[in-house]
Parts: sequence; structure tokens; C-alpha cells
Amino acid sequence: MPKRPDINKVLVIGSGPIVIGQACEFDYSGAQACKVLKEQGVDVVLVNSNPATIMTDPGLAQRTYVEPVTADAVKEIIQKERPDALLPTLGGQTGLNCAVELAKSGILDELGVEMIGCSLDAIERGEDRKLFNECMEELGIETSRAGYAYSVEDALGIVEDIGYPIVIRPSFTLGGAGGGIAHSEDELIRIVSQGISLSPAGEVLVEESIEGWKEFEMEVVRDAQGNGIVVCSIENLDPMGIHTGDSITVAPAQTLTDIEYQRMRTASLAVLEKIGVQTGGSNVQFAVNPKDGRMVIIEMNPRVSRSSALASKATGFPIAKIAALLAIGFTLPELENDITKASTACFEPALDYCVVKVPRFTFEKFKGTDDTLTTRMKAVGEVMAIGRTFEEALGKALRSLEDGHDGFGGDAASDAEASMSDEDLMSAVGRPTADRIHHVAEALRRGVSVEDIHEASGIDEFFLYRMADIIAVERALAGMELEDLDADALRVCKSFGLSDAQIAHLTGSDESTVRTCRKVLRVLPAMKTVDTCAAEFESQTEYHYKTYDAKESEGSSSGKPKVMILGAGPNRIGQGIEFDYCCVHASYALSDAGYETIMVNCNPETVSTDYDTSDKLYFEPLTFEDVMDIVEAEDPEGVIVTLGGQTPLKLASRLADAGVPIMGTQPEAIDLAEDRDRFSAILDDLGIAYPASGMASSLSEARCVADRIGFPLLVRPSYVLGGRGMGIVYDGAQLERYMEEATKVSPDHPVYLDRFLEGAIEVDLDAVSDGDDVYIGAILEHIEMAGIHSGDSACCTPPFSLSESVQQTLMQAARRIAKRIGVKGLINIQFAIKDGLVYVIEANPRASRTVPFASKATGVPLAKIAARVMAGEKLADMGLPPDDRRLDHFSVKEAVMPFGRFPGADTVLGPEMKSTGEVMGIARNFPVAFAKTQLAIDYELPSSGKVFVSVCDHDKRAFMPIARDFSRMGFSLVATKGTANALRAVGLECEVVDKIHEGSSNVRDMIANGEITLVINTPYGHATRGDGYEIRTEAVRRGITQVTNLAGAQAMAAAIEVAQGSGLDTVALQDLPQWA
Amino acid sequence: MSVSQASEALLAGTSKDVSTPALLVLEDGTSFVGISCGAQGEVFGEVCFNTSVEGYLEILTDPSYSGQIVCMTYPQIGNYGVSEDDVQRGSIAARGMIVRDMCRTPSSWRCQESMPDLMKRSGVVCIEGVDTRSLVRHLRDAGSMRGAISTVDLDPSSLLEKVRASAGLVGENLVKDVSRPGQDDMPNTPDAHIFAVGKAPSSRYEVVAYDCGAKNSILQCMEREGMHITRVPWDAPAEKVLAMAPDGVFLSNGPGDPEAVGATIEEVGKLIGKVPIFGICLGHQMLGLAAGGEATKLKFGHRGGNHPVLNLLTGRVEVTSQNHGFAIGFNTLGSLIPEESGGISENFDDLREWIDLGIAPVVMNDRFGRVRLTHVSLNDGTLEGAQFLDVPAFSVQYHPEASPGPVDSRYLFSAFARLMDGESDALDMDIAKMRTASWVFGGEGDAEAA
Repeated sequence: MPKRPDINKVLVIGSGPIVIGQACEFDYSGAQACKVLKEQGVDVVLVNSNPATIMTDPGLAQRTYVEPVTADAVKEIIQKERPDALLPTLGGQTGLNCAVELAKSGILDELGVEMIGCSLDAIERGEDRKLFNECMEELGIETSRAGYAYSVEDALGIVEDIGYPIVIRPSFTLGGAGGGIAHSEDELIRIVSQGISLSPAGEVLVEESIEGWKEFEMEVVRDAQGNGIVVCSIENLDPMGIHTGDSITVAPAQTLTDIEYQRMRTASLAVLEKIGVQTGGSNVQFAVNPKDGRMVIIEMNPRVSRSSALASKATGFPIAKIAALLAIGFTLPELENDITKASTACFEPALDYCVVKVPRFTFEKFKGTDDTLTTRMKAVGEVMAIGRTFEEALGKALRSLEDGHDGFGGDAASDAEASMSDEDLMSAVGRPTADRIHHVAEALRRGVSVEDIHEASGIDEFFLYRMADIIAVERALAGMELEDLDADALRVCKSFGLSDAQIAHLTGSDESTVRTCRKVLRVLPAMKTVDTCAAEFESQTEYHYKTYDAKESEGSSSGKPKVMILGAGPNRIGQGIEFDYCCVHASYALSDAGYETIMVNCNPETVSTDYDTSDKLYFEPLTFEDVMDIVEAEDPEGVIVTLGGQTPLKLASRLADAGVPIMGTQPEAIDLAEDRDRFSAILDDLGIAYPASGMASSLSEARCVADRIGFPLLVRPSYVLGGRGMGIVYDGAQLERYMEEATKVSPDHPVYLDRFLEGAIEVDLDAVSDGDDVYIGAILEHIEMAGIHSGDSACCTPPFSLSESVQQTLMQAARRIAKRIGVKGLINIQFAIKDGLVYVIEANPRASRTVPFASKATGVPLAKIAARVMAGEKLADMGLPPDDRRLDHFSVKEAVMPFGRFPGADTVLGPEMKSTGEVMGIARNFPVAFAKTQLAIDYELPSSGKVFVSVCDHDKRAFMPIARDFSRMGFSLVATKGTANALRAVGLECEVVDKIHEGSSNVRDMIANGEITLVINTPYGHATRGDGYEIRTEAVRRGITQVTNLAGAQAMAAAIEVAQGSGLDTVALQDLPQWA
Repeated sequence: MSVSQASEALLAGTSKDVSTPALLVLEDGTSFVGISCGAQGEVFGEVCFNTSVEGYLEILTDPSYSGQIVCMTYPQIGNYGVSEDDVQRGSIAARGMIVRDMCRTPSSWRCQESMPDLMKRSGVVCIEGVDTRSLVRHLRDAGSMRGAISTVDLDPSSLLEKVRASAGLVGENLVKDVSRPGQDDMPNTPDAHIFAVGKAPSSRYEVVAYDCGAKNSILQCMEREGMHITRVPWDAPAEKVLAMAPDGVFLSNGPGDPEAVGATIEEVGKLIGKVPIFGICLGHQMLGLAAGGEATKLKFGHRGGNHPVLNLLTGRVEVTSQNHGFAIGFNTLGSLIPEESGGISENFDDLREWIDLGIAPVVMNDRFGRVRLTHVSLNDGTLEGAQFLDVPAFSVQYHPEASPGPVDSRYLFSAFARLMDGESDALDMDIAKMRTASWVFGGEGDAEAA
């Protein structure tokens, strides 16, 4: 059946901000869907509050609403746009929940909007454990023994029948949020009460633990005629008990016999049919008892997911694209295999390679939290690697992570494990953590048997035997010198996935010698193709990976000049989707400019690793070795290193030294900006002010610097990303503690100490320079005061409080700095303004986190312009709108925090970045735009009730007018004694509550009992424990909005006032000025 | 892949055994150096590939692979070892095996032995360390061809000479080697499979199976549809079969060129119209040839577990397991009957055209009346299944029993039962409704397995 003639306008709901469990894989899926719907002549109306996405580019949809993904906002958009249909399955759990709410409200029926892809009934059968279990029972598919609890008492009753350990899964939450495994009554009470409060239905499933079983996922696609295919099977290396998003996973499934695999496949297809998924992709998860093959279904998601994005990348089958086409009426057999262009999409991809996905964690950012992996997802990103064998893919994946390892074992980072006692090591092997895989390596190195490691970890022996082989090769290699290795031996190393760096480490050589030696011996990689069909048919798509011990290399060239773009690697805090957005934009712009574009990246969640984005895709680690191999195979005219964040940037000088042509800003210029002394000299020369600073390699040196410039100090290690390891110290004791920890962060680099400008207004400025002209993209005024990482700070453009003359000063300074450094491309400069004086904090001659936001706010795509500049075009020839023009709308960006995932970690914002994502709000004035961002994050604003207030002495005076605002809007105030005194002194009524340590009925109880709707708590200094910490932690647990600084409190008050008043009009990007 | 002293030292502590080099040579002179991972010796055969990830043992023990050297496209083979319950027929049928990487340390609760151990024990020559993807690309472009694996003659030019002197598959009767000599009862579903497929019901039909190298799993599928099977040799006379008064006759799969089994085809001609007939793979070809159709060798044989086939009667796609190098031309079975083919009188070379039209065309066969096209390959538009309308017989070119591969088409065994019950629309069945039949998913399902 071709496209349904009655569907001409489709509403697509995006997934909102990047949070743990819902990341940029939904941008990949959504962007694919929007693109293909548009190609089919369907008008797409898109709602997504996340500005850093490709899908919210104004060109991808007819109407793009960067608005909160709330039923209220979407309802207004539906009324305005009157779409024929709503596609709810592309926006993750957020999109699905919003669609369900809309459907239940009756608005869809009322306005004749059809839900396509998945009906409300099917969604409920898939999501509601009770209905789901009933369906499975009818199919004869086993589910684990379980019961529903709506209270702790219910849960205790269920456990009486089943016994511990027990798994708790809250209904309708994202990425299993609020779930966990309880081994005791205490744990049960804690997890169940948390789960009930997080579940929108107040419901948790309490079920038999199948911890230690093997876990599998099947990615299934189905069309309206009932044709169903399994696109990909995925086997988790980590056994049951660890969220699949936190597990190392392998595709295709490795250890199932045919009869077991076909049974699982049949069950997956039957599940979709039973649940009633009309069209589209779903994910079905199973657990298998390794002892007898008993198979239990865990869950199914009737929508595209993180796993479907992974499956799409792993197989070359674009699930979201096909799902979108199926939703508007096409059937699988009439769609083409997108990769080969020769056969139909109604088939099951055949892989002739192995894919390994490894999650990326950032526990170091959340001190105090337990780093054991559980059923609740904690990973912030992931990498994928392709190899001809599991061994090769595992090695590649581990070196893609950028966590200091060069692969599986056999590197300097692995030597750290060597100091553990045998006992500690085996307990580390038994405890699932981010580093367990390296503990397994160490255990194998010590000769622990595969059986014992299997017993401790539950990891299938198949994988352990493969790893044991890798370790055996490494151990043999450790006894050899590089000169001992001939071509055959080097090939053996490579076929077991060892990197040049590992070979160098083990043979006592260095990486470049290994590389030279390897090339002399002609041990060179071959490029193979991901083609969905194991080479059975010819393929038309240039989607490649690298392997060794191969006879033949594939790939062809268009004859056009080539440009290679290095991506950003795994998402992590501080380097996320924003950089991928820039890389994708560069690829688009350079393709338009006549280049053959080559993308290199290893992050399966992204748009950049869609084989559709660039002319060629290499799914490879972003290490020097891997990038050089591709450079040598492709011989590009230029390599772009300034758009993918620190990952490609830190390769820049090595690549340049190796003779690779770097496009745009040169490594020398990057160094000028990053080297503090050289940069300070430039600023001195230009007569631009910067905070007094110094450098120290030891505590005594640090004390000297502190004496010279005085406290408070902003301290940080050199060359960091996302402010890792940064802190503000107010006194000598804090400085001492910082210095102790800082040496662990980056031992080879000194620590910088800057005078901290307390109370200053911070500003980000994004610009593009072509060497002659500098185009100011946007000035972003931070809402929080200086001292909070710019990635965590809300900001607004155009600035809402800066005078014209200050803005002129900022622009002037930026132009001079960009030209002086020699920037050709993007530059981001951070300023602080204190007492009318402008200070430069730092300049980064590369894409910044704010480029996508600034581009959407101003309608000028900065990354595209930068890419064209790098390719030699001049700004003056582009016809850009004047950069000092006045915009008549305000855009606010607000950061989204993952604290709910890390119980125990402090939630105070500081110079170390902690947010995972961001939202955007657009409106005629600042408060409305800010209100939209708060709605986009929390989905509702507090409108009445009690506001708990506890501010530090320093803030008390400035806080009083804000308190008055809350009081005027009908909130009642609750305060601790000190703050209460101040409030009463200015005539504000308030209830006094005990501090936590003061009494039994204290503020934490009030928060826990749901009596508080908003928490305003401003701490002083870098407290880790104490009242403030307890209060904030409790607020996170209860999901209560909290503000931890004055500026935020002020903006919040203004936002609530607006929301209470006229309501919030929705705005489409297409109605704002766009330059294209 | 070759092995120096230094590389041997690196591999010493691993599970790898690189002590015996091996050589693969194709008749066009292409050669690959590798390592032996099976028995020592030298084998000749037609080199073909299979894209299934699971089910390597089922493939090697499928008698249809007689005379062939199988290259597995998935690089790591042997991961879950082998279980004799998965064997499709007695011993290993394929002459040799080519893999990228062979697993010597398998893991599965069902594992009884590792692949290399089985290969050695069974005397099957295997080579690993081959860039199988480049081999497959070569075979894809040049077509299947003869080849040899040797661990005794490592000189490419000498082995090439022997390859060129070896016999090809065309015209060779491999069936007589794999067919059982006498009449016997079927093998039952192994107890070890009951965890997944349940117990078979008691039998309601008597079926005689022409054994041209039948896979056990086909017979087991029939057993689970309530059929009792008696196997007869490939050349059993029709009279003798009819004398057994069966409810239906099954024509099995088997190796090689269908034209080489002329004797069976003749007997099949005598059975059509006298008894309900179901044919699979070679059985399908024999049915077509008996009706006067022609078989041609495909440039690219269909070998894998992911081939889409569309059932024109239901419009539904089945993902199928396939293993054939020859195909019957639909237009060789007769000329189109426009009244029953949507008014179209000119047949298409690419049968996928019928899919777009939504028509299941019918031709008039000289001997047996009307024949309807029922199944078409979505990959290349060749004939995958046909049904006689005036006599009770239908057949499919692919493998509905799968083993290995997807089991979407297992409804065809029920369809055979319906054919024996005299239902004319036997093939018009809802796959979704049939899907879970004959599977056990655990727990409560056990009781109602049948």
C-alpha cells in the first residue's frame, strides 16, 4: 500500500532535553523521520524543547516548535496547526507519555487527529505491567513471578511469596528511573518508596530476581499488513541485573543455538502482534537462564529506543526512517533496502562482523554516589565499535571511550589494577561497575580461571574465553621487544584488537615507532563495508569500518575534493549532542559546497553516524592511530578538528605534525588560546582585562599564588573538558583539599588559580572569524552569577540586562581576540562583568556548547558558516545579516541536571559541569522565555503552596525583594531561623522550621511529606555534607523544583508570575527571522 | 593468514591451534592461505556461502549441501559448540567449511563438543583465517565455482590443477549417495528439543516421504502436524508408494542438479493427481520438472537465513531459509490464463511484477491443468512456490522447516495437512495466527504445546 492520501500533515513529538536514559538517539531517530516524511510530501509539525538537535533545524520540518513537551503546549500547537495525525513513537518515553496524556484528554478525537504507528491501547498494553503480563500469559510466554505494589506494605507482602533478592520497577518511568534490586527489607523499603513517588501511576512492579541470567534484546519492525522482521539481535555481555543502557552489549547474539534464537524471534514477533503495534519499531527484551535455556520476557517498548538506534547503526537498517514510512501507510515489501538500493526493506539484515557497544559513565562528577550498576540507568553516553571478531570490536570499543584506556588491558591505565589484592580484585569482578571489564582483564592476567570469573561476574564464558585469548596474547607480547615482531606477529596482535599504543606499552616501545614498524612490514588495515547483507548483494552506501588480517579493502571515491570531519566520540557531561550538531552542519554545508564529506565517529546515538549524513562514514575510534589509518586510506584535502569538542581537538597537533592538513583554525592558534601564559600576553598586548591568575604544581606554590591574588579562587587543572576538576576555594583549608584531589585529575599538568569574581555577570559570546572579518553570532547573558559552569548556567540572548555600550565592548574585544589568535572558524569567549568592567575569562577557538542554541535563537547557522569559512569562503561574500541587529524575541537556554540518577551526590552548582542537556524557550520577553524552559524541564511550574527558603548570610539582603514577590503571588514562606529573622525584619510572614540537625520535625520531613512546592537554598562555599546537602538531596528525591542561587530565584519568581497570568504563547521557528 | 615463529609464540597461550596450515583454491585461480580447523586432508566441491549466524551444524549436516564447500559469512563460527540433537541427517554432508575464525572454547548449556573436535572426528576438512568477506564478494560477482581445501598440498598451482580436474555439480546425481536404501520410519523430535518445541501429538495422517536427503527437521515438523512418515528411497516406484495407500506424499529436499534425478521425476509424474503432494526445495523442482517445466542454474544461489518471500495469496512476507542453486521458471510450466491472471496474457521474467499488481497468476500446464504462482522471491523475482489447482499438490523452493533460520513459513506443514483434508485454499493462511503454534516458551505453555 502506498502512502495514505488522508495524511498530509503529521505532528511529531520529540524527546525534549538530553537526560540519562534518553539521549541524542532520539534526535537521530526523529531527524530521520522528519527528513523522510518531508521527502514524501508530508508537512511535519515538530515539538521539541531541545535546541541542540538536528531535528529542530528549521529546514527539517514545516513548523518547528521549540516548546516544552507538555500536553498543554502540544495541545495549543495542535489547535493552531490542525495536523491529520500524531506520530508518538519517535520521542522516547517523554514523547510517548505526552501523547498518551493528549489522547486521554480527548483533544485528539475532538480535533480529528489520528495517532499513527501505535494506538493508545497498544501503548498501554506495552507499558502497563499488568496488561502486559496478561498478554504474555495468553501467548504462553513466561514472565518472571511478580506482583504490583502501591505501598511499601504491598511490596512486603509480595516479597513474602517470592523472597529476596527482588527487582523493583516503577511503572511509566524513563530508563527504569526509580527502579533497583533489593537484597534486604531495608533496601526494599527505600527503593519501593522512591519508585512509587517517581512513577506517574504511583505503582511499582515487585518481581522475582533473575539476576545473573543472560540478557537479550530483539529489535523488531512491523507493518500494517502484518509483515514482521527482526532487524537485529543484541546480547548483553553483562548479565541481568544491570540496565541494558549500562551494559556492554554485542550484536548479533553470540551464544544462542538456532532453536533458541528462532524461539526468541518467534516470541518477539508474536509479542508485537499481541500488544497491537500496528506499524513501526519495537524492542523486546528477554532473559535466558544459562543453565537450562529457560526464557523469560522482561519488557517491550512499542517505540523506537536507544537500542533501535544502536541496531540501526549496527546493521545499516534505518529503523526510525522505515517506521515513519510505515506509519503513513507504506508496507515493508514496497520499501527499498536503503543501503543496497537493490533489494527490499522486508528482510532481516545479515551481519558479517561483530558489534560491541560500551556505555560511558561519569561517576567522577558525582562524588558521594554509589557507583554500582543496577537496573537504573546511569550511563551518560556510549560508543560502538565494529570488528570482524568480538576481540577486535571489544578492543576498539574500549579505546573509543576516552577514559584513559588504550583497549582491553595491556596499557598504562591497566597497571593501576595490578596493585589490588586478589581478594579486592575478585570482589571488584563480582560488583558491576564502569570499570569491571578492566577488573576482569586483571583477573585473567593473574591467571584466575574463566570458570571462577564466570562464577563471580555472571558474564558468559564465551565472552570470557575470548577475553582470555586477548590477555594471553598480551602476556606473551609483554615478554617481547618490538624488534621480535614480524608481520605475522603484528597481524596477530591486530586481529586480537590491540592498538598501536598497547603494543608500544607492552613491548616497551612508543606508539609512533610501532606505527612506523607496522607500515614498513605492510601490516595495514583493510576497510570493509556495512551492507546489511554480508556481501550477498552489491551495496551503494559508503559505510565502512576497519579491520586487519583481510585480503581486500572496499570503498570508492567520487573524485570530488575530500574533507574529513572528526566527530565528538561518546557523549559525556561537558561534551554532548551540541558538538555532533556542529559536525553534522559542517558536513551538510561542505557537501553543498562540492566536497566529498567523510565523517569519523564512534558514537552510535548520533546523527553524524547516520550513513545518510555524509558521503562516507567510518565508524571508528577517534584515536590518533585510527584517524591516521583513515587519513592514509582517503587522503583528504583537509581534516576538521574544531567542531567535535576536545576529542578531535586534542589530536590536532599530532595530526598536524604527521603532515595532515588541518582545516580552519590551526593547532598553533589553538595552543595560543589554551596556553594561559601566551593567552595572557595577548590580552595584555590588546589591553583587555582578565582576572588575576597564577599557576601551581604543588600546594606550596598554590599557597603563594593565593597570597598574591587573594581568595576566593577559581582553581582548575589545565586542558579540561566540561570543567572537570574545577572548584571555587574560599580559604586555605579548601585549597589544600583541592590540591590533594587535583593531582589525581591530571598529574602531568599544573593547576591554574584565577581570582574568582564573585557576583559578576557572566557572558558567553559565539563568533565566526575568517581571518579578516569576525561575525558575532550571539551574546549570551548568564542568569546565574559567575562561578557556575557555563554549561550548567541558564542564559539568555539577546542579553536582558547589559547596556548597549557593554555589548559593544564585548563585541569589540571578541573581534580583536579572534583576529589576533588567528581563528578561521568558530570561537567562543567567556566574559565576566563586574562593577562595569569587562574581563575575559577564557577563549576557545572551536565550536562551543552554545552554537546550536545561538544558531536557533538568531536564525543564523553558525556551524555551517564556520565550515564554509574553513573551506576558504569569506564572510563578506555570504550576505549575512548585520551582527548588531536587534532581535525582537528572547531565547533562554536552561541546563538539565541528572541528580535524580545519582542519589547521594550534592546538587549545588559550581564551576564543574554536571548537566546532561539543555532546553530552550523562545518568547517576546525574558520571563516568559525562562518560564518555558522551566516547564520544559519539570513539565509544570509551582503555582501555590509553601516555598522553603534558606539563604546564606551573603544573599539575605538581596533576597528580600524576591521573597516579597513569592508572598505577593500567594505562596507562603517557610524558613530556617536565620532566614526567618531576616524575612520578619522586612515584614514578611513566615513559618519557622527546624534545621535537620535541630529536631525531629524538621525541613526534610516537610519535603518528604510533600508539603513544600519549591526550595530556595543558596549555599556558601563548597559544602559537601550538612543541612543544605540533606535538604537538596531530599528535594531531588521528591522531584521538587529547587533553586540554588539568587539570580535563578529571581528568574523563577518572574516566570511563575507570567505563567499565572496570561499563559504562554507557542512560537514556531519559521515565524522568526531565518537566514539560510 | 600465515604463521611465523613469533606469531606462534604470541598465540601459544590462547585457544588457537595454528599447527596445521591449510590452503583454499578456487577454479579461477583465486587462493587463500589459512589454518586448518578440522580434519587433515584434501576436499573438492562447489564453493558456496551461507549468511546464517546461528545453525552452522544444521547447515553442515543438511544433505542438500552434499558436494559443497560452505563458507560461513558470519566471521566467528562455533561459539556455542555443537549438540548432536541439531544434526539434520546422520553425519556431515558438506565436503568442507571455510570460516574467518573458529571457536575452540564454546559456551552453551546445550554444548556437547567443540566444532573443531567434531570436524576432526568426522573427517571434514576446514580452513579458518580466511578473509571470508572478500571470498563472498568474489563468489557473488563470479558465481559459484569449484574449489578445494587442502592441508596436504599447499602449492596453489598444483591444487588449482586438481580443482580444475574435479567434477562439477551440474548433471551429477548426488541424491543417490544421500538417500537411504530401504524403507524406514521417521526420526522423532529429539527429547532435547522439547524445551522449545514441545511434544508431538499422535499421528492422524500417513505420509510417504521420498528421501532424496531429507532433513530431520522437515520430518519433525510434519510429525508435529500429526503426520506419521514412512521414508522411501529416491527411486522408489510410484506404484509401490501408491500401494502403501498414504494420505499424502512428500518430496524432500536434496543436493545438486535436479535434472540428474530423472528417475524420481518420472515417478513423481505418475503420482501427481493420485495423491496429495507437498514438495520442498529439490522436491519442488522435481514437481515442476515432472510437469514439464525447466530448471536453470542461478548465477547467485540463494543461501542464507534472511530471504524474503511474498505469499501472493495473503500478501504477507515470510523471511525464509534458503539453499538452492537452481530454480524452475514459472513461464516454463505453461502459458498464462488471462481470465485467472487479472487479464494479463504475457508473463513477466521478473515475477515481482505480479506483487505490484496484486495478482497470483495461473498458467495452463499441458499435463496437470492449472498451476498458480503462490510464492515469489523479493530479492530476485524468481519462483519460490506454486500450487496445482486441478490436482492436489503444492511445493516451495525454500525451506519452511528452517533449521537453521526463521520459521515464518512453518504454516506450510499445516497447509499440507489441510491439503490432505481436501481443502482447496490450503495455502491461504494467516502467518501471525500460526506463528506460536508448535513452540513452547516456557512455564505454563508446556501443557498446551501440541
